[in-house]
Amino acid sequence: MRDLIDLWVGCQNWIFETLVSPVLFQFGLMEWYEPAFNAVEIFMLGVVQILVIVLGMRFFEKRWPLERTADDNLVGVDRVYTILNKLGIVPLALFTVSYPITNQIEYLSRAFGFTPFRVEQVLPWLHDNALASFIVYFVLYDFVAYWLHRAQHRFSWWWALHSLHHSQRQMTVWSDDRNHIVDDLLMTLALAVFAQLVGVQPDDYVMILMVGRLVESWSHANVDVSFGRIGEKLLVGPRFHRLHHAMASADERHIHDHNFAPVFPVWDILFGTAIYDGKHRPTGVDDPVVDADNGRGWITQQVTVFGRFVRALVPRPMRAPVQPGLRPPAE
Amino acid sequence: MNRLAIVAGLFVLAAASARADTVLVLNSEDASYSIISRSSRTELVRLPVGREPHHLFRSPDGKDVLIGSTATNELLVLDNKTGEKKGLVRDIVDPYQLGFSPDGKWFVTVALRLDHVDFYRADGFKLVNRIFIDSMPSHLAFDADSKTVFVSLQESGRLAAFDLETQTVKWNVKVGTAPAGVLVLPDNNRVLVALTGQDGLVVVNPKDGSITGSLKTGRAAHNFWPKGDGRHWFLSNRVENTVSLIDTQEMKVVGTIKVPGGPDCMDITPDGKELWVTQRFLRRIAVVDLEQMKMVASIPVGKSPHGVVMLDAVGPPGGTPIRTVSATPKKK
Repeated sequence: MRDLIDLWVGCQNWIFETLVSPVLFQFGLMEWYEPAFNAVEIFMLGVVQILVIVLGMRFFEKRWPLERTADDNLVGVDRVYTILNKLGIVPLALFTVSYPITNQIEYLSRAFGFTPFRVEQVLPWLHDNALASFIVYFVLYDFVAYWLHRAQHRFSWWWALHSLHHSQRQMTVWSDDRNHIVDDLLMTLALAVFAQLVGVQPDDYVMILMVGRLVESWSHANVDVSFGRIGEKLLVGPRFHRLHHAMASADERHIHDHNFAPVFPVWDILFGTAIYDGKHRPTGVDDPVVDADNGRGWITQQVTVFGRFVRALVPRPMRAPVQPGLRPPAE
Repeated sequence: MNRLAIVAGLFVLAAASARADTVLVLNSEDASYSIISRSSRTELVRLPVGREPHHLFRSPDGKDVLIGSTATNELLVLDNKTGEKKGLVRDIVDPYQLGFSPDGKWFVTVALRLDHVDFYRADGFKLVNRIFIDSMPSHLAFDADSKTVFVSLQESGRLAAFDLETQTVKWNVKVGTAPAGVLVLPDNNRVLVALTGQDGLVVVNPKDGSITGSLKTGRAAHNFWPKGDGRHWFLSNRVENTVSLIDTQEMKVVGTIKVPGGPDCMDITPDGKELWVTQRFLRRIAVVDLEQMKMVASIPVGKSPHGVVMLDAVGPPGGTPIRTVSATPKKK
């Protein structure tokens, strides 16, 4: 195990000392020395995730596809999203914006005498078991992510952004990162503040993101594979999550308002939003304005969806009577 | 019965003559600290501590070691002789760097993230004053007569001098890019400031903050540690990956030791033969043989090891470990 850590840290140190630290030193940015070192690790974890997708998950998609009529033109843009996200380009932009905000929140909370809490204060035995501690924080994190996901569907302005993620008609392992950058920013801010409140360690936070996003990449995969009756109740898989992406129909106007959980289906089971019926449904959004996202590239999607978001911020009485793409389609 | 008494007596004698043999290293991104055996150069145990522990300081009476956990606003107090936990001082906000004035009256902390310097009465840790300052206060040092504390301001590139009695700023001057380690020399007439954004240190006049000299040591000069003779100090250079030995009388570098992995904090063994240096990026601590002026070992610890201190303790302390790394240290 130590050899593996040395290899990993050795690579991280080499990349940092060769490419990053000379730049920081040259441009007088040494106060970012440690955060930049950690950013290199996030980049490396992104490379690992892409390798897992390309070498592992894609094998299952090719071997046991659910939909055989894959349209590569639809999927191409999702690959761009995945590369930009996993290699840290989007996260770096998000960090630049969100760091001063979360820092300010911390300043204020400290000014009012609030001391960050750790779950270990309530459950001291977690100190003894790094794995148990990681799982507890992961479950808490997923719980919050579940409710944030529900909010993405509940509020029309948030749905205006999140509908981009749902507009994909050809779901694959690449679909998970297809999100508007403002949507990513809102989720990052909310989850970072939560992580501060419950005391998630920076290292655990990175691992939670990595493991969580891998599970989510898998849950978007175009595969006809199941974890089994019990497994499907423990971990979100492609069958469970595909229902969440199902296109609403006259018979099932609210079908996509189910199976919200990112990683652990227990939240949907507990809060009555789980459906396990094993049916295969077409995916996408039954709104032509949202569906039009499918023909667009990354930049055009970001611009048009931002327009949708801005229109959704206009108070209802001031809006035009028909505002396609602004409401959750099942409302 | 007599035999038992003799054996017990011998055991007590052996324990009393046992050499202090442990080193404590703070794993700043693991919320833990490692206890390492100096003789076997192995990590004995890893114990939990509050989030983001960066620096530590020995109490003026030498009995305790205080660990500052910046994200959980607390000081963990350890017994220097046994390494056992003695207590927890809460509501010490963001104690990034910490120190007692030489007369033992003041306890000062700097809050790197929250931009303030806190002045406490050392007896009871009662907060006397909090001064917000721009920005990223990072290291501190007291003058010999306990009248002034000097604080480097990493982001604004300045050094500030605070009057301890009135807790007011005496002066605040620009000294260079990303100043970090601060050292008041025994003559009390020179303050050395390591510049992490440059390749050496500057010499500052403690009376008015004027810069009177400079010395090149290596890229990203960062932190000082005394060799113990009142004349030589070590200085870590983080980007250069070296530790410089500085003769402060001649004001020149008299030795350079290669230590990879962004060398940071240091401590020297009581016999003066070894310098231990945290290698932040490699998750290790380096052992430097000072006779050879060469790194001779590098011991695995936790993530982002930062502060380090030699304990007077002989073996690992009690408590619930995060993990027991090596219950029986290997022989060299």
